[in-house]
Amino acid sequence: MMHTASHAEPVLSAQRVTLRAGTRTLLDAFTHTFYAGEIWCVAGPNGAGKTTLLSTLAGLRQAFAGHVELDGKRLADWHAQQLAQRRALMPQSAPDTFSASVLDIVMLNRFPHLTGWGWEREADRAAARAALDLLGLTGLAARDVLSLSGGERQRVALAAVLCQQAPLLLLDEPLSHLDLHHQIECLEALSEWTREPRRSVLFSCHDLNLARRFATHALLLDGNGAAYAGPVRDVLTPALTSRVFGYPLILIRDGDHEALIPAPRSRHESALAHDATARR
Amino acid sequence: MNRYPASLPATLHAMSAKRAAAIWLVLALAALVVLMASLALGSVSLAPSSVIEALSPLHAPASQGASADLAAEIVRTLRLPRALAGFACGALLAMAGALLQVLLRNPLAEPYVLGVSGGAASFALVAMIAGCAWWLVDVSAFAGAFVSILLVLGLARRELWRGEPQDTSPRLLLTGAVIAAGWGALITLLLNVAPDNRLRGMLFWLTGDLNGNAMPWTALAALVVVLVAIVPAAPRLNVLLRGDAVAQALGVAVVPLRLRVYLAASLAAAAAVTTAGTIGFIGLVVPHVLRLAFGNDQRMLLPAAALGGGVAVMGADLIARLVIAPAQLPVGVITAIIGVPVFLWMLLRAPR
Repeated sequence: MMHTASHAEPVLSAQRVTLRAGTRTLLDAFTHTFYAGEIWCVAGPNGAGKTTLLSTLAGLRQAFAGHVELDGKRLADWHAQQLAQRRALMPQSAPDTFSASVLDIVMLNRFPHLTGWGWEREADRAAARAALDLLGLTGLAARDVLSLSGGERQRVALAAVLCQQAPLLLLDEPLSHLDLHHQIECLEALSEWTREPRRSVLFSCHDLNLARRFATHALLLDGNGAAYAGPVRDVLTPALTSRVFGYPLILIRDGDHEALIPAPRSRHESALAHDATARR
Repeated sequence: MNRYPASLPATLHAMSAKRAAAIWLVLALAALVVLMASLALGSVSLAPSSVIEALSPLHAPASQGASADLAAEIVRTLRLPRALAGFACGALLAMAGALLQVLLRNPLAEPYVLGVSGGAASFALVAMIAGCAWWLVDVSAFAGAFVSILLVLGLARRELWRGEPQDTSPRLLLTGAVIAAGWGALITLLLNVAPDNRLRGMLFWLTGDLNGNAMPWTALAALVVVLVAIVPAAPRLNVLLRGDAVAQALGVAVVPLRLRVYLAASLAAAAAVTTAGTIGFIGLVVPHVLRLAFGNDQRMLLPAAALGGGVAVMGADLIARLVIAPAQLPVGVITAIIGVPVFLWMLLRAPR
């Protein structure tokens, strides 16, 4: 593996991690070390275990076998509060039941930093405002979360994990519901955020082209036990993605720009598909 | 398109310890005013000065004459225990409601939604049919509440226990709701087989009644226990509202917290039901009114709900004693008459 000297600090390491869903083995004895400064895209078909892997790496669930180490210490041995200051997890969705301002919701992620009776200090408010500012959400700070659109809600959730100020971010589909413009803005904000020392990001994502553009590395899960990890352009290749997603993908080029796109169906295939729908 | 200014408005500030303390102080003063009114007003009205005199520990019966004696007797043995019982029940019900709304992540949850009151009522009615003494009815009600708590806990244990980042609340809610429905059927059955001469007392018990309440101490003790168990956990409850996964990722041990909230809410509901029967709407309306006014920060809300619920039930009981004096209404009737329109207004009002 190629790592520049400044990025050589190991952060998170999966040791023979096996994940199962029922009797299905999603991931089989996966061993890999993630380093500081890397931005990982976790990709794979639906149900391949992206969410399960992220929550296992975050320490929210036990692996079926194997274990995860953060800074050389097993996750199970971490103190809960220190772990929450070290890594942040953004789940796919978080329920909003009651009215609350966006600022209040973002500030909830300061929980690991609270002391005494658990009231926020000025530093906590400043961190929340900075996170909102980074994602261009300052104008929404006073809005009721119940009035937000799906995309706005997603950006608020991202601001919340950033305000937690943990050097390792685990993000479960942070780009879902976002329009193209905001997808790119969020990824730019994350790239910017990762430039500080010791920071790294793992995010799951279905847009392979955004991943190829913004991630430094990719982890491709096939959902049957295999995982391919490495620099993003070595992993998100037409050959590998076609095999994992079970659909042919091709790489097209326009000057310096590249894009992975689904191959057009052959006439024969589309005729078969048409037949199948007509018969239903 | 953004209707809001690009810079943070100066008025936007999250809940702080200072602001919460101011809210609690205002509610505590309101409680004091309603308490004084409860002690002074009734079939015999007393001046505030004689109420204070009656409460003073230095009150010497011999020196004041017969009328002052009577006043002291009314205040000390009738009105004070009743007002304190009302305060404690209201505080317990409002806290139980607020806690269950967080636990079940459902704004329509209320203290009785998981069947605590049904269990208490069923056992109390059985004791009343058997012609037990009033204290035995109380003990029986508490036992019934406890049985119901254990039943739900036993049936929904996997939902409460499982330490996985999954949303388990809907199943807990459904388990409780089904148990409550079962108790409801049992209560109807008991009312049908009850002898006529006991029916009136049973119905009063079911509506919620503070009449003749001389023992506020169990409810007050339960209130202290619940406050001590829950107030330090309030910051964690704020986080729990964002879902189990977020809470766990922020370092909250979700399963023990959920168990603690369930037990505290159940104890609160059980103590309130045992003291005054099923007083409705307090657990639903009080937390929501406070949320509308001051936001949903549990650190502020839970103590505020205790004070606000206390004020509401004490006030409702005062009205219940006054409207058709010298006769009295059950306090549950007043809370329902006020609670139904208030709740409907909150539910149906145009969104902000």
